[in-house]
Amino acid sequence: MSQSHNRGLVEDFGRWREFSAGMWAWVFHKFTGWVLIGYLFTHIAVLSSALSGDAAYTNTLQGLEQLAVVRVLEVGLLAVAVFHIFNGIRLLFIDLGVGLDLDTQEKSFYASLILTGIIVVASVPVFLEGL
Amino acid sequence: MSTQTPDTDETDPQAERMARKEERAAEREEASSTPDVGEDAITLKVFRYDPEVAEKQEPRFDTFHVPREPGITVLDALIYARDTYDSSLTFRHSCRQAVCGSDALFINGSQRLGCQTQVADLSNSDTVRVEPLPHREVVKDLVVDMDHFYDQMDAVEPYFSPTEEPDGEQLQSRENREKIKMSTRCIWCGACMSSCNVAAGDNQYLGPAAINKAYRFYFDEREDDERQEERLKIIEQEHGVWRCQTQFSCTTVCPKDIPLTEHIQELKREAVKSNLKFW
Amino acid sequence: MAERYSSFSGGSTRWFLQRISAAFLVVTLAFHFLLLHFYHHAPEITFGGSAARYSVPAYFITMVLFLAAATFHGTNGVYNALVNQGITGTPKRVAKWVLVVAGVLVFVQGIRVALALMGASA
Repeated sequence: MSQSHNRGLVEDFGRWREFSAGMWAWVFHKFTGWVLIGYLFTHIAVLSSALSGDAAYTNTLQGLEQLAVVRVLEVGLLAVAVFHIFNGIRLLFIDLGVGLDLDTQEKSFYASLILTGIIVVASVPVFLEGL
Repeated sequence: MSTQTPDTDETDPQAERMARKEERAAEREEASSTPDVGEDAITLKVFRYDPEVAEKQEPRFDTFHVPREPGITVLDALIYARDTYDSSLTFRHSCRQAVCGSDALFINGSQRLGCQTQVADLSNSDTVRVEPLPHREVVKDLVVDMDHFYDQMDAVEPYFSPTEEPDGEQLQSRENREKIKMSTRCIWCGACMSSCNVAAGDNQYLGPAAINKAYRFYFDEREDDERQEERLKIIEQEHGVWRCQTQFSCTTVCPKDIPLTEHIQELKREAVKSNLKFW
Repeated sequence: MAERYSSFSGGSTRWFLQRISAAFLVVTLAFHFLLLHFYHHAPEITFGGSAARYSVPAYFITMVLFLAAATFHGTNGVYNALVNQGITGTPKRVAKWVLVVAGVLVFVQGIRVALALMGASA
């Protein structure tokens, strides 16, 4: 046993096709979490225009809202936030000891995805209106 | 009659030996290249590595064809391949009935016991890909170094050690036995730890098996309060229960169906409760 | 023995607060989206409208708590993600303090914005 072989982490993300539902839920939750904390910083930065006065704030916000790319990104933000909320509720229940059997935790993840999809699709008109 | 002169009627013993040897080699060759494995043979792809053999120092996959017997398990297929084709093919196995926990392997991308997994039950039963358990050092072929796993198991002190010697026999209630029943089923195979994405990144993480073992004693009514507190302290350390991200990978692969995630979550709540009580 | 329980252990406190902030954020984040995208429409937001909302004490307090919870939940979440990736030692300490400083900065800046909006209509 003088020598052994370390296969490293190839088995992890290289095998994403074999991930189970719980693993996907974790990957999505992490990803959406990173996006949301990133957005919080940008959001506060944009709103800081309020410190430069009345007109600066109104113009900055309305100027941004006129850009189609901002509107589309907002739909993306909604998707990310809604998924993080639903999967977050799923995780809170899991922490409380509810819905821990394998079947339930899978179904609750799929339910989070489906609900997110429905809410986002239904919200697209509101988010893109007036463009 | 000189022994030096070859007799035309008699063959040279050396030549005869060589001929027999060649014949046997040919037989072996035939057996290994075209044994009668049937039309629907299983294609077994096995991870090979041996630091002591030049051509196996760089890991590779070998392919074996194994006859598809009804009910054949992955372990049966490995044994067939070893006995028929390559006696150097190395893997651990012992009881062949999912009790000893020696043959946890990475089969078609998932941690399973070789003896418990029938080829017919795999989603791809034509090609069976067998690798050593991920996130463990490979010693040879399918054999991995389990020392670190056993260290983590030992870290939770998986035994009773009462503060005071009990007076007599300590009986366990039926209800309490039910409570810890599933947690007692662990066979130390290491499938859960190998499947855990967090354990892969953090070598100090106790891992699902060790935490489950702690659960087994923590919730046993025969453990006294003092020991219970000490045990809780072990599992709520930085590399203990908090590392669990509820990915359910361990619970998915556990060959004994232990609800590992549930047990880890319950211990998290115990830790929070015990801290809140004294806050 | 008492001193063992004199405070939360590090892991337990952060784990628990992450859940408490999560439960709070579920409600406030949903409220925030509904109010500013569905009740009011984002393109129609003006300084005056925001100032009017912030002049309501309950709204102001809710938004401050929302910001505090989001900042903690986000930075702590990033820290957990990094630790679970296996960072230790100096990188871990650096990550911790960078996140603490970033969190404090974004919180302070957010409060300045909220005060500017509240003060404008007062």
